[in-house]
Amino acid sequence: MNFSDILTMRHELMLTLMALVVLIIDLNLHNRDKHLIIPITLSLFFIHTVIGFLPSQPSNLFGGMYHTNALLVMMKNILNVGVLIILLQSVTWLKKEENREKISEYFILLFSTLIGMNFMISSGDFLMFYLGLELATIPIAALAAYTHHQSKSAEAGIKLILSSALSSGILLFGISLIYGSSGSIYFDAVVLHYANTPLQVLAFIFFFTGMAFKLSLVPFHLWTADVYEGAPINVTSYLSVISKGAAAFILIILMFTIFKTIAPIYTHMLYLIAVLTMTIGNLFAIRQKNMKRFLAFSSIAQAGFILLGILGGNAMGMTSVIYFVLVYIFSNLGAFGVVSAISTVTGKESMDDYDGLYATNPKLSLLMMLSLFSLAGIPPVAGFFGKFFLFASAASAGYYWLVFIAVLNATISLYYYLLVVKAMFINKNEKPLAYFKSDLATRTGLVLSGLGIFVLGFWSQIYEIINSLSFGIIH
Amino acid sequence: MADYTYTILIPLIPLFVFLFLGLTGHKIKPFITGLIGTTGLGISAILSYATAYKYFIGAHVTGTGYTSIKGFEVAWLHLTEKLTIHLGVLIDPISVMMLVVITTVSLMVHIYSIGYMKGDPGFYRFFSFLSLFSFSMLGLVLATNIFQMYIFWELVGVSSFLLIGYYYEKPSAVAASKKAFIVTRFADLGFLIGILMLSFNTGTFDFQTLTDPHGPAIASAGGAAFMGMSVLSWSLVFIFVGGAGKSAMFPFHIWLPDAMEGPTPVSALIHAATMVVAGVYLVARLFPVYALAAPDALTVVAWVGGFSSIFAAVIACTQTDIKRVLAFSTMSQIGYMMLSLGVSGYGGEEGLGFMASNFHLFTHAMFKALLFLGAGAVIHAVHTNEITGMGNLRKYLPITHITFLIACLTIAGIPPFSAFFSKDEILVAAFHHNKFLFAVEYIVAGLTAFYMFRLYYGIFWGKKTHYHHTPHESPLVMTIPLMILAFGSVFAGFLPFHNLVTSDGLGFESHIDWMIAIPSVLIGVLGIVIATVMYKNESPLPDKVAGTFKNLYKWAHHKFYMDEVYLFVTRKIIYRYISTPIAWFDRHVIDATMNGIAGIIQFASYAIKGFQSGRLQQYAFVFVSGTVILVLIFVYLV
Amino acid sequence: MNILNLFVIIPMLTVGGILLTKDLKQSRIVSAIGMGLQLILSFVLVYLYMSERSAGNTAPMLFMYDALWFPSLNIHYALGVDGISVAMIALTGIVVFAGIFASWKMEYLPREFFVSLILLASGVFGFFISIDLFTMFLFYEIAVIPMYLLIGIWGTGPKEYSAMKLTLMLMAGSAMLMVGILGIYFFSVPAGHPLTFNILEISKMHIPIDMQRFLFPFTFVGFGILGALFPFHTWSPDGHASAPTAVSMLHAGVLMKLGGYGIFRVAIFLMPEAAHEQAWIFLILTSISVVYGAFSAIVQTDLKYINAYSSVSHCGLVLFAVLMMNQTAMNGAIIQMISHGLMTALFFALIGMIYGRTHTRLINEMGGLMKVIPFLGVVYVIAGLASLGLPGFSGFVAEMTIFVGSFQHVDVFHRVITIVAASSIVITAVYILRVVGILLLGPIKNDHFLHLDDAKWYERISTITLVLAITAIGTAPFWLSNMINFSLAPIVERLNAIQITGLF
Repeated sequence: MNFSDILTMRHELMLTLMALVVLIIDLNLHNRDKHLIIPITLSLFFIHTVIGFLPSQPSNLFGGMYHTNALLVMMKNILNVGVLIILLQSVTWLKKEENREKISEYFILLFSTLIGMNFMISSGDFLMFYLGLELATIPIAALAAYTHHQSKSAEAGIKLILSSALSSGILLFGISLIYGSSGSIYFDAVVLHYANTPLQVLAFIFFFTGMAFKLSLVPFHLWTADVYEGAPINVTSYLSVISKGAAAFILIILMFTIFKTIAPIYTHMLYLIAVLTMTIGNLFAIRQKNMKRFLAFSSIAQAGFILLGILGGNAMGMTSVIYFVLVYIFSNLGAFGVVSAISTVTGKESMDDYDGLYATNPKLSLLMMLSLFSLAGIPPVAGFFGKFFLFASAASAGYYWLVFIAVLNATISLYYYLLVVKAMFINKNEKPLAYFKSDLATRTGLVLSGLGIFVLGFWSQIYEIINSLSFGIIH
Repeated sequence: MADYTYTILIPLIPLFVFLFLGLTGHKIKPFITGLIGTTGLGISAILSYATAYKYFIGAHVTGTGYTSIKGFEVAWLHLTEKLTIHLGVLIDPISVMMLVVITTVSLMVHIYSIGYMKGDPGFYRFFSFLSLFSFSMLGLVLATNIFQMYIFWELVGVSSFLLIGYYYEKPSAVAASKKAFIVTRFADLGFLIGILMLSFNTGTFDFQTLTDPHGPAIASAGGAAFMGMSVLSWSLVFIFVGGAGKSAMFPFHIWLPDAMEGPTPVSALIHAATMVVAGVYLVARLFPVYALAAPDALTVVAWVGGFSSIFAAVIACTQTDIKRVLAFSTMSQIGYMMLSLGVSGYGGEEGLGFMASNFHLFTHAMFKALLFLGAGAVIHAVHTNEITGMGNLRKYLPITHITFLIACLTIAGIPPFSAFFSKDEILVAAFHHNKFLFAVEYIVAGLTAFYMFRLYYGIFWGKKTHYHHTPHESPLVMTIPLMILAFGSVFAGFLPFHNLVTSDGLGFESHIDWMIAIPSVLIGVLGIVIATVMYKNESPLPDKVAGTFKNLYKWAHHKFYMDEVYLFVTRKIIYRYISTPIAWFDRHVIDATMNGIAGIIQFASYAIKGFQSGRLQQYAFVFVSGTVILVLIFVYLV
Repeated sequence: MNILNLFVIIPMLTVGGILLTKDLKQSRIVSAIGMGLQLILSFVLVYLYMSERSAGNTAPMLFMYDALWFPSLNIHYALGVDGISVAMIALTGIVVFAGIFASWKMEYLPREFFVSLILLASGVFGFFISIDLFTMFLFYEIAVIPMYLLIGIWGTGPKEYSAMKLTLMLMAGSAMLMVGILGIYFFSVPAGHPLTFNILEISKMHIPIDMQRFLFPFTFVGFGILGALFPFHTWSPDGHASAPTAVSMLHAGVLMKLGGYGIFRVAIFLMPEAAHEQAWIFLILTSISVVYGAFSAIVQTDLKYINAYSSVSHCGLVLFAVLMMNQTAMNGAIIQMISHGLMTALFFALIGMIYGRTHTRLINEMGGLMKVIPFLGVVYVIAGLASLGLPGFSGFVAEMTIFVGSFQHVDVFHRVITIVAASSIVITAVYILRVVGILLLGPIKNDHFLHLDDAKWYERISTITLVLAITAIGTAPFWLSNMINFSLAPIVERLNAIQITGLF
């Protein structure tokens, strides 16, 4: 193991570096020009994102604790892009007076969670995996409580930390059982000794519930709504997009590698949970009036769709999952971006405040509509392709009725997405939200997600690249 | 074989006139539009006469008699390998005869209308509709195949609809036109089904193939039987339903009296002379099939015709609206024609009824058109349809009076007027075939004479009615057609129909059968005498008579309540007991189900909101129990 | 440059153009020009197609264009037309063109209106030209979704409710469709070969019969919902009643035809055995909607509801005829699609124009309008006569072809049910004449209507275009019918190759 090998960890390294740099700058900056941190960090992270795309070679470090390859790098890059957009969208909010002296915290905490996720994705054994997981979770709790002067925000932090503690506990128990039953924590070793003995099934279930918590699958989702609502909007979008995406990535990898031997059992389980998640998520989302809660529940339902790709069990399935997550990042960030832009400027977060929005803020309304259509899977925006491929992969494994249920759920979800469209375009309102112009960064963030929503679908190249890297249980 | 391609012009000219007037009429002076319409029709008439001459006299009769010739034919629509709809011109005795009838009457009506419709705001509309009708009717009779006939059948129906509803601001006219269209449309459904069955069994629409005595249609007679009749017979019965609808046979007759809401010239043209005999023409057109392959279908025709004739005659005796009297008399006369077809056989002497039917159709066209136009002249003079509002008009309207009298004598079957001959032939045919119907027709003959002269006296004699402005004879443009038609109805009887229009195209010898003719004349005279006694001068007799046959009179006067029956069926059954429930079902069951699904989802979303309590310990509980359940299922059960 | 691509590109350019415009005047001009071009283009296509055929080109699809899109899934952007799609494209061109002029006075948010309208149109065009199931499905949904905005924003009455109902029901339909399409995709191709969405290639394959039994109902009902198949038709009356004029025109005139076309092109063509087996069920359903729609139309009092229900009846006839699965009946079905498209578009255009003058759609509140607005009145009568199947108009040709064709079946069931369906011609006459009688004829009920002004020039363009099309088909049907027949022949051959007969 030499220096060049270390460089294959460039994502994690650079993020750590950035976190430190931000900290140092913050210490040396006078209180009144703390806001300078924002442009610096943004540019740093931008560079980081770009570098992330540079070609990399697979490697295996620390005796297999850490390993990386093109697929994993791509996953990390996807997350990076998402984070970049989130950072852009949070600029206005950070510039607010009350956040003045906490700017650096935001970045540092965010980066550290991202580091955690990167390690989690790159982990070669359960120890590294668990470290990454915790590192990815705990700082988010702090972020959720970022605006601690608001009781809701504090509550969100507490709820997140406590419930994640519970889930981590169960997950850890699962891991220990896996270790006990297979005699190793190294993925490559575990897979060799993993048959579906009851103990190992039990271990898997415990492990899975932990992941289900991160993905907020029903019935492990209950924390989601409260945390999403309480946390600052940009943290919410981070939670709903990045951490969920990372969880999905690592889950499908592990499902396709270590646990492939018990596929016959976990398919049934996923089937059940997928149906529950989509349906319950939708049923909750229908009634929501608070936009953040609304998007929270809709994101629960979306997580249900991801399981269809895992059920597919082949390379097509993995491709569709990664592709869907990518699309989902852009669509959801589009929606969240608009919500955050509006709530940062006006403080309004209720659906009724959106009545007649189109009359005053046509661009925002259009972006919102496109994002929602993309979430609902309506062409020509990318969401349609994402969903179609997910369903296709599930169908390829013969789950036609599941696909049918899923599409019906997509229809139900269309219903509540259209409620927002209706509010913005159809509902009459004497005094809709006044016109406002968000600053450059926010707009760039919005435009980026808007572009993504449009381009990703038609630009089949992206799908093909992902597909070229994906693998499946069935070859 | 002579070339008849030019005959395509006969229907086409009125079509062009229709289009021209329809699109540009409102910009042209009314009188000019009338002139255009009349000239167009005149040309068609001349062409028809030329054709008739060429066909009957000019072209020497080949040994095979009058053959049927396709003057012109184009494929219009390919349906299946075998079935193709053609549009063309078929020249044979009956079609040529119909050409003459239609163009003559239509021309008379055109001329007459120039006077009658004078000053009407929709003058050009009227004439364009007339042209449309003439086009459709001519197309109908010239049809080379049954589907072309159906096409023009529908067009005739709609032009009749347009003309009945000509005074479209008059609700009664609108209602009448609607009724006429829907009733006939209903019958046309039968026609369509008949066509479908016939074409399915025979694999052709073409008349020449169908009616060829050795063709597939006749051959397929022994096909599968259904309820005691061969499928072929059924299809022919269905087709006859269509004919019955147009020809106002019982029970489809109810539209005809109301159709009198249209302008009188229209009644003369469409509802007396031409369109209403389309049914007769249809049966005549397919006659070989009926006669040779489906005698039972022919029996149906006979009975329907016979019943309609007496049914209508009885009603006619009690009506007071002169146009309605004429309408029922039309129905009765068409009943005659149907009956005569029904009792006819195929070929030679056997085909007497066929010949007689067409003969009567011809003469009837003349005198009935005359009667209507006469009635029109009367109405034109006194501005009412009610016989009660008339009387003693003979000195005011001399020409109308004379011509009307001639027409009455004709229809009463008094020699030497034309109807005497045609009716006699019918009676002879009936006598040889069905004694009962023969007897019925005797009675009808008497009734006919009676009610016609009741009408005649009621209008021109009777009580000294006082008119607040003295009626005056119509202008020449109206009276000349009367005279021409009068001439026609006097002398048409001397045409040698038995040599021209026969079932198999071969002429045969026929002579007056005095044993039958004399009694029928006597019955006719008797009817006239009774009418004279009762109505020549004011007398209490009519009411007495009406009193004695109280119920019969009441029922007849209300047309045996057929309208009420129909109203019941349409308003009550269809509207209230079918449509309304279906509409209700659609809104409150099917639609409600769809909304119900949405409702269920909404309900569910409220039902489960308890889970999201916000209490962390509950979340933890759910979390753990979820895990446990999964373990239970997948470790212990699976 | 393949001509078919233009059918998608021109609408896109038009949309772009509209976005540049400022106000109603400019945007409607732009859309009129764009859709005018589209109309011309579709006629050019008809001409090119005809000349290709007469030149002896017997390929099943012409003007094929194929671009590989998602290689790993073998998804293509594949275009191609046969006589049937050409006919449908011509129909769409006409209706859209007429629709633009019918909404000439769209004051509220004109640009957005025309944009969504043309997006819808482009979806329809795309659907008809694509021969790749994925592309087809994509365009299908593109065509459906603008409907929500169009009805929701510019509609009348309970527009939110109707718009939502319509969108959700149609989307539920496409949910079933999705299952069907995926099933076809995965089961059409024998193991080892690359999967394909291409209809032509799939038609060469054979889908296992038990799979067909499972997929056919999904596909049929999925498309059927858009084709107003009983009992999934209830979105249609409310939707049409609330929609603005041009949208009703497009939706009833063209969008509902996607259902029939899809059933014909996908469900029956690709799964013939199942079609033969299950036809009888759907034959019963469709014949119900034929009669049922007509009967419910009789008692309606709102002009749009009357027309919506009559659409249920007429579109039911389309599906009915397609299910008859013989050359003549199917030919009739296609003609009926086109004929009904034109007629119902004309009806909705007229209803919109009358409503714009009288501000009511309840026939009882109107009467004697023929006197005050003769042009609209006459055209309405023409539309009515066309719709009740009067010879000389397209309706007659379509219905007769259907009835004669359906009656060619040897078994009694098909012929009896044909007679049942045929009886609708009487019921149609009843409600058409009822409307004409109450609405146009008779004395003028309401004095406010004494001084209505007759059709404006743009309204005349809109209506006359449609009337011309209707009469053209009605008087010279052989062009159309021959063009369709040629393309039908191979399809029917494929259907007749199957020997399985259904329950009856």
